[in-house]
Amino acid sequence: MAGEAQSVQETEFAEAAARARKLFASESEAESLLREMMAEEEGRVAEAIVFAEVLVPMLARRLAVQPPAPHLRAAPPAPRTGPAEARGIADFIDEMLAQDRLGSH
Amino acid sequence: MTTATIEKPPAAPAQPLAPLSAPPARTGSAKSSVLLLGLDLGTNKSCVLAGPPGSTDITVSKVLPSVVGYVRDGIVDGIITGNARILYGEDALRQMLHVELVAPLAEGVISRPEAARDFMLHIRQLADPSGRAEIRTVVGVPANAGEPAREAIRRTAQGVFARILLIPEPFLAALGFRDDSRVRQSGYVDPVVNSLFIDIGGGTSDLCLVQGYFPTRDDQISIPFAGDAIDELLYNELGRTYPNNGLSRITVREIKEAHAYVGPSRKPLDIKVVIGGKSRTLELGDAIGSACNTLIDRIYPALTALIASASSDSVVTLLQNIIVTGGGSQIRGIDTVLQKRLADDGYESPKVRLAGQDFQRYVAIGALKAARAARENQWQVLLE
Repeated sequence: MAGEAQSVQETEFAEAAARARKLFASESEAESLLREMMAEEEGRVAEAIVFAEVLVPMLARRLAVQPPAPHLRAAPPAPRTGPAEARGIADFIDEMLAQDRLGSH
Repeated sequence: MTTATIEKPPAAPAQPLAPLSAPPARTGSAKSSVLLLGLDLGTNKSCVLAGPPGSTDITVSKVLPSVVGYVRDGIVDGIITGNARILYGEDALRQMLHVELVAPLAEGVISRPEAARDFMLHIRQLADPSGRAEIRTVVGVPANAGEPAREAIRRTAQGVFARILLIPEPFLAALGFRDDSRVRQSGYVDPVVNSLFIDIGGGTSDLCLVQGYFPTRDDQISIPFAGDAIDELLYNELGRTYPNNGLSRITVREIKEAHAYVGPSRKPLDIKVVIGGKSRTLELGDAIGSACNTLIDRIYPALTALIASASSDSVVTLLQNIIVTGGGSQIRGIDTVLQKRLADDGYESPKVRLAGQDFQRYVAIGALKAARAARENQWQVLLE
């Protein structure tokens, strides 16, 4: 995704910026406006990232799925000596499906 | 730790499947009722249990050989009951002279998709003769079965079952073996809480640590050496010891099932067979013992590897709950040999026991329990 973004920045965005500069009386005015727009968009992207980082865990908890960090193993299971009778068969199936989604199987 | 993943390339082209998310509502289904199935698709023997949801009733309980017989061309009318074109299980074996026998599975996974589909259709017919029920099936899969093997089961089941859930067989065996009426009894050790299951089938021997959570990949070891491999060793040894004996693989398997043992030699073991129409007595003590003891040599390292992975808090109790199930549990002495070997290697008071007379059904029993407990969003919908 980062590579694709960079490609767009270097091609389509660069062409659009060049066309926009021609509309301004002075080059300095054009550059100032472009910097202002880039800073505003970078801020929006940063806010979106923070929002996703907060929202995704909330959604995962509601859907009973824990998203993994890519470089970590699957989340450890319940304590090995825990009382299984307190957890139903459906809970075991949930664990299995979570493992399947993480690619443990 | 040895980890073997069983994978068989699927033969049929991929068909679209619904995702694992919540299935669409089926309140308007043309099917009259929901029927739950627990299915153990074994390489040599399969077991199916069926029952309605919200009940403990079992309407169908059947163990059948995993074999399909396609009637040969030119068979005279009336030779085959009902002039059927396809036979299944015992019927196919009884008519083996008139059919082409096909085994749908090899080493625990589907190897003949068309035959597997016919076999599943037969199972569906057994469970629901009316053909009107919406069938939801939990199917046992070998421990560590790869995604291609699992996908082959799903693809084969499309159009046969409405919904499916694949669960590793050793865990289902623990679930099936658990006596639910004793779970809260003092002194009863729930096999789902702390046990090690050894499920010896026809194609694979699966070992699984079950300790109160769903077993991870590291808790399961699947070894592609089991009943069929013993048959092959015995067959080859017979060919060396008694050249041109004319015994079929089916007969060799029957000999094994009747006389299998592990441990010290039980020679002489004189077995009467009919060869070329004449009765002969073959001494097979060492041949049978050698073939079966090879299984112990393959299983034991996996057993100790799993024991080593258990926590120190749980391992002493775990050693008291090693359970052998599947067809291999019928090998005479397998519990005492494994137990003695563990004790000789210094393990603390190991106790290995056999699953008992229901050894062929525990995976299917566990599968039906899972089917009854599964939530709506846990089932995978199979598109027709």
